[in-house]
Amino acid sequence: MAAVLVKALKDLRRRRLQAAVVSVTALLAVGTATMALTLQSQTRTSYQTVFDTQKGAHLQVRFDGRIDPRTLAGSPALIGATASGGPYPSTDVQFRFESRKYLVSTIGRDNPDGQVEQLRVVAGRWPANDSEIALTQSFADLNHISIGDRVKIVSVPQEPQLTVAAKVFDIDEGSAAVTNQHSWMLSSAIAALTPPGFAYSFMDYRFASDPTDAHLQADLNTLRGSLPAGSVTGSTTYIAVRTVFGVTNLLATNLLGAFSIFALLATVAIVANLVTGIVISTYREIGIMKAVGFTPRQVELVVVLQIVIPAAVAALVALPLGAVASQPLLANSSLALGLPYQAAFSPALGAVAFIGALAIATVAAFVPALRAGRLKAAEVIASANAPRGRSGRWLRRLAARVRLPRPVVLGAGDALARPLMAILTMLAIFVGVVTVTVAIGVPRALTEIVNHEESIGYAHVLVNRSPALADSEAMRIFSADPDTKRVVGRVPQPVAVPGLGDQAIAYTFRGDSSRLGFLLLAGRWYGGPGEAVAPRGLMHDAHLKIGDHFTVTVGTRPVSLLLVGEVYDANNLGHTMFVDWSTISPAKPDLAPSQYLVTLTPGSDVGAYVRRVAAVQPDLLDVQRNDPSLTESPIGNALIIVAAVVIVIGAAAIFNTLLLNTRERARDTATLRTVGMSPRQVMVMVAASAGLLAVVGGAVGVPAGFGLNRLLVSLINDIGNNDTPASMYEVFGVWELLAIPLACVAVAVAAALLPGRWAARTRVIEVLHAE
Amino acid sequence: MKDLVRLTDVTKVYRGGITGALNGVSLTVESGEFTAIMGPSGSGKSTLLNLVAGLDEPSSGSVAVCGTDLGSLGEARLARFRRDHIGFVFQFFHLLPNLTALENVLIPAQLRGNGSTARAAELLERLGIEEVADRYPSRLSGGEQQRVAIARALVNRPTLLLADEPTGALDTRSGEQVMDLLGRLHRDGQTILLVTHDARLAARHAARVISVMDGEVVDDSRRQVA
Repeated sequence: MAAVLVKALKDLRRRRLQAAVVSVTALLAVGTATMALTLQSQTRTSYQTVFDTQKGAHLQVRFDGRIDPRTLAGSPALIGATASGGPYPSTDVQFRFESRKYLVSTIGRDNPDGQVEQLRVVAGRWPANDSEIALTQSFADLNHISIGDRVKIVSVPQEPQLTVAAKVFDIDEGSAAVTNQHSWMLSSAIAALTPPGFAYSFMDYRFASDPTDAHLQADLNTLRGSLPAGSVTGSTTYIAVRTVFGVTNLLATNLLGAFSIFALLATVAIVANLVTGIVISTYREIGIMKAVGFTPRQVELVVVLQIVIPAAVAALVALPLGAVASQPLLANSSLALGLPYQAAFSPALGAVAFIGALAIATVAAFVPALRAGRLKAAEVIASANAPRGRSGRWLRRLAARVRLPRPVVLGAGDALARPLMAILTMLAIFVGVVTVTVAIGVPRALTEIVNHEESIGYAHVLVNRSPALADSEAMRIFSADPDTKRVVGRVPQPVAVPGLGDQAIAYTFRGDSSRLGFLLLAGRWYGGPGEAVAPRGLMHDAHLKIGDHFTVTVGTRPVSLLLVGEVYDANNLGHTMFVDWSTISPAKPDLAPSQYLVTLTPGSDVGAYVRRVAAVQPDLLDVQRNDPSLTESPIGNALIIVAAVVIVIGAAAIFNTLLLNTRERARDTATLRTVGMSPRQVMVMVAASAGLLAVVGGAVGVPAGFGLNRLLVSLINDIGNNDTPASMYEVFGVWELLAIPLACVAVAVAAALLPGRWAARTRVIEVLHAE
Repeated sequence: MKDLVRLTDVTKVYRGGITGALNGVSLTVESGEFTAIMGPSGSGKSTLLNLVAGLDEPSSGSVAVCGTDLGSLGEARLARFRRDHIGFVFQFFHLLPNLTALENVLIPAQLRGNGSTARAAELLERLGIEEVADRYPSRLSGGEQQRVAIARALVNRPTLLLADEPTGALDTRSGEQVMDLLGRLHRDGQTILLVTHDARLAARHAARVISVMDGEVVDDSRRQVA
């Protein structure tokens, strides 16, 4: 074994450049795989652990505030809950902090403990008087609110000031980035903060074992049937919370998982390519090794170790790097759970990634190394060099026929001289191009989702109204501004839909919602009262199809609807519908928009408009420019990093192939130099080899990447319970589909520079003498 | 004396070859002999040596070395057999370029499980090249490289030393030194099978000269060496 190790280590020192290529590719592949594995493992278990520890509620129900608390106190027995919390008096509170205003459900609760939904205070202390409030850590951190900060309540005319006393973790709500949040005050403080019509009570229920969605739906029906009509005004199940929590990470782990497979594929291609090259370039040496007593297996081992040693070293470095790179996404998960972020890394998973990567590298190296073991010593010692590849001759003849410059003709032939190496190189390029295509397409599709859901580009300004300000007053302010072109009011109205465990949200619009950019996938937009459009999630789970009549419950009142279209909407996991004001208002006469989507006249200064409207009602209107962006999405950033990784791997593959080709063809190149080929022409010849491989890899990679992008975008929309609109696939310009392979050629030619220079600068006499 | 090498009706035809490189050759080499195989280029003498080394296999016939039929051994066992019984010296030295002289000599011993440098260092000293132990092949003269190759061939104390044109790539003086070295080894009891096309060298050092022509043994003569 010592001889094998000594030989392998010495060969590694001789092939430092190739060892570096292996190291870089292994580092990147193992790094991304570690990221994916770390995310998957740490997020899969953490929710359930915290849910059990904090005795999370399986079912949270919001009741009308007029229901007698004693009646609600008896409700757990109705549904067989083994533990319960509440009833907690609650209301919706809008408060202002610095220049921003926020709407939170505020629950009256005198301590954070209890049998169900224990709240963990992680900063400060529980509110001790009526002028203190506790916020979720997720919400406070997202909005940079600290303990001791003062917030001003703007949803009641008194506008009291509250002090933030605590940051808490609540397992029964998702991240503040994706869901509305709760806050807590002493129960004695709630009445003074409750605007007319905004009084609720919350009950939390927990069961002996985790119930199914159907069980929870049955429990809700029992509550509705047993309590006075209209008692239940909202509900949330632990299944919905868990799903919301997991959506971002599911998305991230799926994408990272796919990308790490790409990276590993590219690594396999490059390793197989390298080993093939090593065997070809050391023909005589292999013969000598055999002559002095190396067994075929030992010869193979010497070759394989030249891959495995740098790969192992790189993998050891990649493990902590991958774990560190996954931390921002893990921190996001922690935020979603309301957990304090703690750096997490699983040594067992690290071992899996390490051993897995080495196993893959070993197999990828071992297969081509078998050739080294099979070589006949006498033959290879006698012939010294591997038989020259001849497969490129037809291409060379073809290139000559179309009268390309001679260096290009020669380079084109060299590119395919060894078909296996050419295929492996093109495979690495192919994977790189596919990855880049997907890395461009997926974030754009995500942006499309946000843009259409938020009416970005259609409504220029979003305004949230405090209940303390009358709707008519808000409309007067908009009408008074000459830049206002159109105002559509919107309120999310909880509705009970037969077949759904949770309540769905009926986005109820006052005004022309058809011009707000929502994506209609099938059917038509609603045209008047009694018509609705809904996303696939609601249609599927409530067993509805376009043309179906169904009845939802708004408060206590049944509302008959006709489903006329399918709309794209990932909010509330697709359990939403879009209806006109005239559909809901008869069942809820006090309905008023909580939000206004304002479209401005062309040429208006959006910033100036925002400042003007906000100045009229600084406390009671929250006026924001409607231009959220995904640029800070950790998923988008991760995709960009991984795409860059795979590009480097692809470039390394080209570099390696050209290095081997130029070395193998050193004598040919020297001969060409003696007959008059200039160093520049030598470089052109090498670059032509690279360019040809890149053109083929890119030409195949772009449509494949396009197809994979479709697949991933569909997968993303499946997670959000939506069908995929065609516009989310059509995120590439024609020029981009041409530019990607061209960029690929540019990278390939750049990767060819060093081997080209090496070939061009080699001293002819030395080469010919050595040969 | 017993037969150390026995070739029985050995024929070797290379792929694409019309006639055999060896055609029905039968011969024996006894232990302790210094045998030279002579013949012009393409006569089949190197093929014969490769077959004896187990580096190649005959198209027909059998090759036995130290009583072992090489045809019965697989690749791995052949490698082990070579490292235990045979030392091979090539015309162009064939040192591994990325190993120092000492490391090159050590390799066969290490493959056998013996990593001790004592024997390798002793050989380098005995061959007068101890000062080049840490040098890489590219920094050695042709004569030095061939002596390193001989040391490598001897490190496992082989029963049979095969030398394929060991002076072919050397100047006259270095060639003489190498042949004197082989002569000394023979006098110490080493069995040597030498391939050369140099009749003068063969006559001067070998007690037995086998002439090969067109793949056949055309002469086999023994004489007393001074």
